[in-house]
Amino acid sequence: MPEPLYGFHGRYLEIDLTRGESRVRPLAAGLIADYLGGRGLATRLFYDAVDPLVDPLGPENVFVIAASPLIGTNAPTAGRGHMVFKSPLTGVIGTSNSGGTWGAAFKATGYDAVLVKGRAPSPVFIDITPERTEIVPADRLWGLDAHQTTDALTADVESGVRPKVLCIGPAGENLVRIAAVVNDRNRVYGRCGPGAVWGSKNLKAIRVAGKAKIQVHDKERYQSGYDQALYLMKQAPVTKRLLRELGTSGLVELINVINMLPHRNFQDSLHVEENLEAISGERLAKTLLERAGGCFLCPIGCQRHTRIESEDGTSEKGEGPEYETVVMMGAVCDIYDLEAITRANYRCNELGLDTMSFGGTVACAMELFESGRLRPEEAGGLDLRFGNAALLEPLARETAVRRGAGALIAEGSFRLAERCGRPDLSMSVKRLEIPGYDPRASFTQALGYMTSPSGACHLRGGYAVSLAFFGGTKEIPRFSLLQSPLSVRAMQNKGILQDSLGVCRFTGFAFDVGPWARMMTGVTGLDFSEARLEEIANRIATLERLFNVEAGVSVEDDLLPPRFSEIPIVVAGEERVVSRDAQERMRRDYYIVRGWDADGRPTESTLRELGIRRGRS
Amino acid sequence: MIHRSWTVREDILELFRSIGRASMTYDIQDSHSGNMAIRLLDASGGDQIIITATGSQKGDLDPSQICVLSATETDYGYYKASSETDIHQRILSIEGVRASIHAHTKDLTIATLDDADKPNRPPDFVPIDPLGFHHLGDHVHVDWIAVPSGSPEMADLIPKRLADHPATVIQAHGTFARGRTLKEAFFLQCVANNAGAVIRAAKTLDVNVEELRRRMKADAGAFFAYPPVPYAVEGDEFSEFPEESEILKEFHKTGARVFESWLSPFHTGSMSVRGVSDLLYAPKASMPRDVGGPLLKVPLRPDSSDPPELALHKTIYAETDFQTVMHCYLPEAEAYAHFRYPGEDAPADRIVPIDAEGSFLYLVIPVVPPKTDAETLIRLLHDYKLVVVRGGGVWSVGSQSLSEVLHHPSSLREICLYRIGAFEQGLDLRKMEPKKAKKW
Ligand code: SF4
Repeated sequence: MPEPLYGFHGRYLEIDLTRGESRVRPLAAGLIADYLGGRGLATRLFYDAVDPLVDPLGPENVFVIAASPLIGTNAPTAGRGHMVFKSPLTGVIGTSNSGGTWGAAFKATGYDAVLVKGRAPSPVFIDITPERTEIVPADRLWGLDAHQTTDALTADVESGVRPKVLCIGPAGENLVRIAAVVNDRNRVYGRCGPGAVWGSKNLKAIRVAGKAKIQVHDKERYQSGYDQALYLMKQAPVTKRLLRELGTSGLVELINVINMLPHRNFQDSLHVEENLEAISGERLAKTLLERAGGCFLCPIGCQRHTRIESEDGTSEKGEGPEYETVVMMGAVCDIYDLEAITRANYRCNELGLDTMSFGGTVACAMELFESGRLRPEEAGGLDLRFGNAALLEPLARETAVRRGAGALIAEGSFRLAERCGRPDLSMSVKRLEIPGYDPRASFTQALGYMTSPSGACHLRGGYAVSLAFFGGTKEIPRFSLLQSPLSVRAMQNKGILQDSLGVCRFTGFAFDVGPWARMMTGVTGLDFSEARLEEIANRIATLERLFNVEAGVSVEDDLLPPRFSEIPIVVAGEERVVSRDAQERMRRDYYIVRGWDADGRPTESTLRELGIRRGRS
Repeated sequence: MIHRSWTVREDILELFRSIGRASMTYDIQDSHSGNMAIRLLDASGGDQIIITATGSQKGDLDPSQICVLSATETDYGYYKASSETDIHQRILSIEGVRASIHAHTKDLTIATLDDADKPNRPPDFVPIDPLGFHHLGDHVHVDWIAVPSGSPEMADLIPKRLADHPATVIQAHGTFARGRTLKEAFFLQCVANNAGAVIRAAKTLDVNVEELRRRMKADAGAFFAYPPVPYAVEGDEFSEFPEESEILKEFHKTGARVFESWLSPFHTGSMSVRGVSDLLYAPKASMPRDVGGPLLKVPLRPDSSDPPELALHKTIYAETDFQTVMHCYLPEAEAYAHFRYPGEDAPADRIVPIDAEGSFLYLVIPVVPPKTDAETLIRLLHDYKLVVVRGGGVWSVGSQSLSEVLHHPSSLREICLYRIGAFEQGLDLRKMEPKKAKKW
């Protein structure tokens, strides 16, 4: 009799869209022991399956979505999925995470991961249940937005478990490099352009439905971790109150207090107070918010379900905006109009666009426009000056279909700025737009952006702001050259573990990995002591780097744009830049603590110690 | 005739003030008790004693309350000086001694009380904690004196006691300690009081203290983890990482908290922050706000000359990704490490919090024997962040900050106090412990 499996199903789906085939592959317990699930498992399966030099929009590119062993338990927030692919925006590993309910629904189909390769000759969607996997023609869905697609794919189900849909909108179909993949209508795998990868495969959606359950090995041990996690979440101000009452945009004014809120494409961090108040979480809560909501099993509930009433008496409903959207489409574009931002946010969710890269690219276009580098005729007649709130919504529509100025935005800020002869005006690292935290206000944040495997991502690079200002006992110095490399590693590792456990980043405001370690050990019966989790996080980080190095990343890619070393902002009364020397020193030290050589390549001994196999199987 | 200024140098005034304030914080004086003295040569070579004035408040010393007098003869300085100046003068004439302090070390004073008929010769005090044993010796004299304050008998006896012991106790009064510097004398006072606190807590917990003393006497090497480093009188002003201003501030803040919250006696324990190739190291972690201690930058690479304390910091960093480490000597934990549940033969291998916050922060806190190998200690630190070593203090680790690593022993102190308090009231600790803690 086979050994019972705890926490995972022991199999994953491999789908070849070129051949129109799906196969069930066994998943060894060893892979879970070494890579957990979610981001770790997806990275390993992806690394094994793809040539790092492939064209991200070619059929050889692969994407993997994986769930974690915690999904299927009642662990708080454990319902998130993680997707890994080669990014058409950055050319390096794309790694993106989404909440909602899709991740949990996918696990209930009886699989731990799904790997998709090839390209379908015409549009398709994939339908997964425990009983069968089908590749279904989707010509009728092509051209629909994410909401319409979701409605269409849930409407024709007569009985049984209500399916969940993960899909792209027109932006993905049109290979927009900043296109997202959307689940539960408004939750997105946003960063690095996964929507374009799906579009390039002619894949419109993955629909899942099932009731497969997992077994828990040691309920008492699991429960002790669960109890502790819940207690701490009920205690910490951010998880017990702030996020529910104000959403993530409750951070807007807080981040401004620490001089970290960017303005006008990161030209400065100076804002008029009333302007900020107009786009704050407090304002959102008082005006547009209908109710808070939560992802699967989330006791925090940061989602903003909002409604905009128009003067003509009509209204529209949607979700958001989040902090990043408010800052990137708002303050970074010198726009302080909450309704305009919210409408544009609705459109991005429907069209399948990453609001962060969209905002960052628009800001870049605005600076190019104002400096004469982007001519009005190239801008398709749009007035691309900073502060023009009216252009957000139409520009989002145009971007999704690559029309007018939208065709420029669709390429992301780096390609746009390069085309205009000023690549330095793209506020990006590895071509991924820098999020709404100015790196000059924290060395840790700066180094996080520099070394994030997917380019400038606050979540993959280490959520520095969570420690820089409201880290509680873990609050760290913001300008320590000595400590930053180690702090960044620690924060990146914590993020890797959260992504691999399928849980929300915001739980980290309440606790580290201790309770998760007990829950994972309790669920799987495998040794997931904290020491082991630390080793796993290091393994995943190095595997991601290995892929990037093989994809051609060099030390020069691990630097900030020149603006951050040349133009100071004022932080707590002092002028601050992240000098080139400081960047180089932190980068060198970061490589050392990661066990990589001076060129940022994982050394053979590091690979050996972490048990990482080089090359494809 | 020597013309001497009544006004002491600014640095000496600051030293007296800061040690005076620290002695109040550590609660080893009442508002006006005790006295402090140092001996030095003035600018013109005059042999001086600088001593606190009689009746002065040690927490708020004015320049006029620091008296300057001759070390060798009676002069006008005596008019205002401490009533125990004669004692200090004699202590300060012991070879190598340049400072002395008398303090009302309440824990030690209580631990050395007896109800025997007087006059008597009370038994010596025998510490059972590593700091007490290694810094005070295997016994501390306790004397009953008919007039136990400023009397000629004291002036006669105390210097004799201190000739071969760093500290001595006058029963029901307090402790006299000597040092090469005022800080060293203060260090010994704090260590002495801490030793008393350990005994008091152990007795409250029905620990068989006499049996422990027998075992310690038979094999002190096995009884303790390793000897703490001898007290260094030099280098407190070293600050080898001034460029890391934020971290420097954290060290000072944390050091002050360790001292003020009684997590480790003055200038004991250690803490560090890891860098990429160096660690920033405070070998005297417990540092009152305005006293400080050395702040060193030390290579992470192990060195055979490293003292065991520093070597363990390095080993923890070599084997883990932790970024901060702290070691301190928490008296309640030291005592608790010897606790046996009623009816059990061996001391408990864990401390189970019974308070709400403690039990959610730490299901259990491991207690390990003194000679636990580094590998086991590190494994436990990984899982629990906090480990009590019987006869070896408390180790804690942090993933990011000094503040984090400080929180562990600070919580542990409360956890121990609640357990000790419950036990004192005759409550059944087993019944109060969360059931799930048994599995851990
Ligand atoms: S905190 Fe917000 S993003 Fe995280 S799981 Fe809950 S609702 Fe989703």
